[in-house]
Amino acid sequence: MRDRVEDLALAGPGILLLALAFVLPIAEMLGLSILGTHRELTLEHFIRFLSDPYYLGIVWRTIYLSLLITAICAAIGFPLAYVMARIRPALRLWLIVLIILPLMTSVVVRTFGWMVLLGRGGLIPFTLWKLGFVGRNFTLMHTEAAIVIGMVQVLLPFTTLSILGVVMKIDRRLEEASRTMGAGFFATLRIVILPLAMPGILAGSLLAFTLSVSSFVTPSLLGGVRLPVVAASIYDAATKTLEWNFAAAQSVILLVGVLLALTPYIKLSGRRHG
Amino acid sequence: MVKAVPNTLRVFASLFVALTLVFILAPLVVVAGVSVSESQFIAFPPSGFSLRWFAAIFDSNAYVQALITSLKLATLVTVTATIVGAGAAIALHRRRLPGTSLLAGLFLSPLILPSIIFAIGLLMLWSATIGPVSFWALWIGHMVIALPYVIRTTLAVLADSDPFLEEAARTMGASRWQRILYVVLPQCVPGLAAGAFFAFNISFDEAVVALFLRTPDLVTLPIQIYNQLEFSPDPTVAAVSTLMMGLTVFLIATLDRFLGIQRFVGT
Amino acid sequence: MFARVSQIAGVLAVAGALASPAAAKDKLVINSYGGAYEQIHRKLVIEPFMKKYDADVQVITAYSADALAQLRAQKAAPQFDVIHFSGGQEVVAAREGLISPIKIEELSNGKDLYPFATEGLSRGEGPVHAVAAIGLLYNKDKAPKKPAKWADLWDPAYKDHVVLTDLSNSYGLLGFLMMNKIKGGSIQNPDPGFEAVKGLLGSAVVVSTSPEMQQNFAQNDAWIAPYAQDYAYTLRKAGLPIEFVQGAEGTPAVYLTANLVANRPSQELAKKFIDFSLSSEVQAGWANELRYSPTNKATKLDDTVAKEVVYGEQAVSGLMRFDPVAVDAARASLVERWKKLIAR
Repeated sequence: MRDRVEDLALAGPGILLLALAFVLPIAEMLGLSILGTHRELTLEHFIRFLSDPYYLGIVWRTIYLSLLITAICAAIGFPLAYVMARIRPALRLWLIVLIILPLMTSVVVRTFGWMVLLGRGGLIPFTLWKLGFVGRNFTLMHTEAAIVIGMVQVLLPFTTLSILGVVMKIDRRLEEASRTMGAGFFATLRIVILPLAMPGILAGSLLAFTLSVSSFVTPSLLGGVRLPVVAASIYDAATKTLEWNFAAAQSVILLVGVLLALTPYIKLSGRRHG
Repeated sequence: MVKAVPNTLRVFASLFVALTLVFILAPLVVVAGVSVSESQFIAFPPSGFSLRWFAAIFDSNAYVQALITSLKLATLVTVTATIVGAGAAIALHRRRLPGTSLLAGLFLSPLILPSIIFAIGLLMLWSATIGPVSFWALWIGHMVIALPYVIRTTLAVLADSDPFLEEAARTMGASRWQRILYVVLPQCVPGLAAGAFFAFNISFDEAVVALFLRTPDLVTLPIQIYNQLEFSPDPTVAAVSTLMMGLTVFLIATLDRFLGIQRFVGT
Repeated sequence: MFARVSQIAGVLAVAGALASPAAAKDKLVINSYGGAYEQIHRKLVIEPFMKKYDADVQVITAYSADALAQLRAQKAAPQFDVIHFSGGQEVVAAREGLISPIKIEELSNGKDLYPFATEGLSRGEGPVHAVAAIGLLYNKDKAPKKPAKWADLWDPAYKDHVVLTDLSNSYGLLGFLMMNKIKGGSIQNPDPGFEAVKGLLGSAVVVSTSPEMQQNFAQNDAWIAPYAQDYAYTLRKAGLPIEFVQGAEGTPAVYLTANLVANRPSQELAKKFIDFSLSSEVQAGWANELRYSPTNKATKLDDTVAKEVVYGEQAVSGLMRFDPVAVDAARASLVERWKKLIAR
């Protein structure tokens, strides 16, 4: 019993903070999702969203873009973290600094850098044009590719650092043992390192997926108004047309959807953490 | 051990790291380039060289005030969120409280919910109960958003900790608080450090809650940048960002020189 | 759930208010639209007002939609005294009791205003202090010819160089309503407009903010766009060869209002501030500096400036105003349908 009191004392401030400053305001907001124009109970906002191919299309785009972004972050983040874990500490420190440097600028400004690089006549379309791959007026702005590029850059630091923390703890003797027993470099990577790094990869992907599903600044600036994602749709309903009830309903759908999608994930990483 | 890696692979690895860095840093190079441009338009490659946009920042009371507000806020959020998050993470890790998994979900949910909903809800609740918003409202709001990061990073470190250390301390007669202070907390340090770093960043970069809770006296740097970009984009936003990046590199280099922070990134 | 908490907190708040020292100067909080607009706003209105009434005026930079969202969320404890809207948000604010009605007698400049500027007062809205005419912006160096009417947007000569504005932007909404009107539609029947825009979309860029519009004219080779007269002037000042023409079919306009926020202690001073914004000197300043059209009949303008705004009884009578209440009622569904139309 005293153990529980101790734990409650430890978690108490956090629970209190979230209960008063998060659950209470969120409950009030999400409660709007089932209220109609005259404050009567209704499911109209949910039906409006779920029965409209346009909104379902937005959901689909949000999901597959987020999955793609998460996969790319993990695919770059794992080898990057592995290399970083195996180099001199001084070099590692500066690699960490370079990787977190983007986090020290505002997300709006960072995204703006991409707008300049990807826009019509920007460095990348210009190079592609010079190489003869695309037309003079080619632009990468306002494409799904632009969203993916921008989001991966924003989220890669989070994924890489999550994986790095775990890879650093892997006992190098395991690797050496594997090599001595005749396994090649890639076999060792696959059989020894990858499974041991999995908790970090899972944690990093979890972070990347949640953050990409709920972000709207980068997708709206790079994707433009013609490629909306769910978070941008919520933002528009909340600030542009002031349909707060509808915004709330979309948030409930997003929240439930992500929690459902993450349940196996959390279970998996929980078991691995053991 | 290093010998065991074939040379071709090492070349490949260097190439891979270099390409990734180019990708990560490309937009920042653009921003830095624009910041020294003479032109009053945002264009790349920059035309001419001039430091006038940097001078403009320090001439502008708005930018200096916003920077001070943001630094104060982010520092406070970092300290408090790290303390509160550490306690919560330790309790969650022990799994002795009823409904631990529910609590874990609760502590993760601010990450998932679009912050616009939280921002409006918090503003409504604060206005209805406490009154006009102030610095403290924004502090609370950023605490809520930063907390999940601290808890996640600390939990990840605790997962690999040795549960028998605490048991050993108990048998040797350490009191409850001694055990936490001298045994559990030191094990959390790497996770807390990462969490604190994220917390600082989240608060320093957060623009949605800060947008809704702003008052004439409470404008954070991201809001100032957003206002500038939204209403009259000129290279001062690039100059501010370049300054922040330069400051980061400088701080880390100094710390490393005098304290040797390399030790903290492991061996 | 809120009610009980708010009772307790109410007591605390009163206690807190009693404890805090009285402010030295009267203080107003207002919103402004940022950038050049805000600079001029400070120069023409805010600073002279502070001097004249020995008061302190603080500014929050916020577009109309953001300002309305913030005002609505803090309804229980508003922080604005005067709130400016440019997209018809005053209709919503008045309906929800966020702003207080003003009587025309309370404004010393009230009698000098054109009738359209005080028409909203009966609905509890604030007066119109400036007008931004909506027409066609074109690049006079690059466009093959000068446009004359709204229908020219569909002229193949401009193909691939047209910029349209998102309906969440009030300039965009009015531009669309006008396109809809010339194609035979009305606010209640936007089908012709959507049908016609659909034909344009394949070869047009869609933007949602003014800086994006500037970027398209500056870097992306845009030739023609339905947008506002004041912004054409902003682009000219930025060195771009952009001219504004009123479409032959008519000129809709954005009506910028100054509104009195409800439940605030210093409403008297706030009314003085609104009245100050309506003076002929201030309005002449807006026209000179940024090419907003005056709503005060007594405003005197030079010929050069007069030609670049909507000036004089006759010109003003040519302005069209879509019924703000009807526009507000249709807004959400128009925006949604627009989003569906432009989504890829």
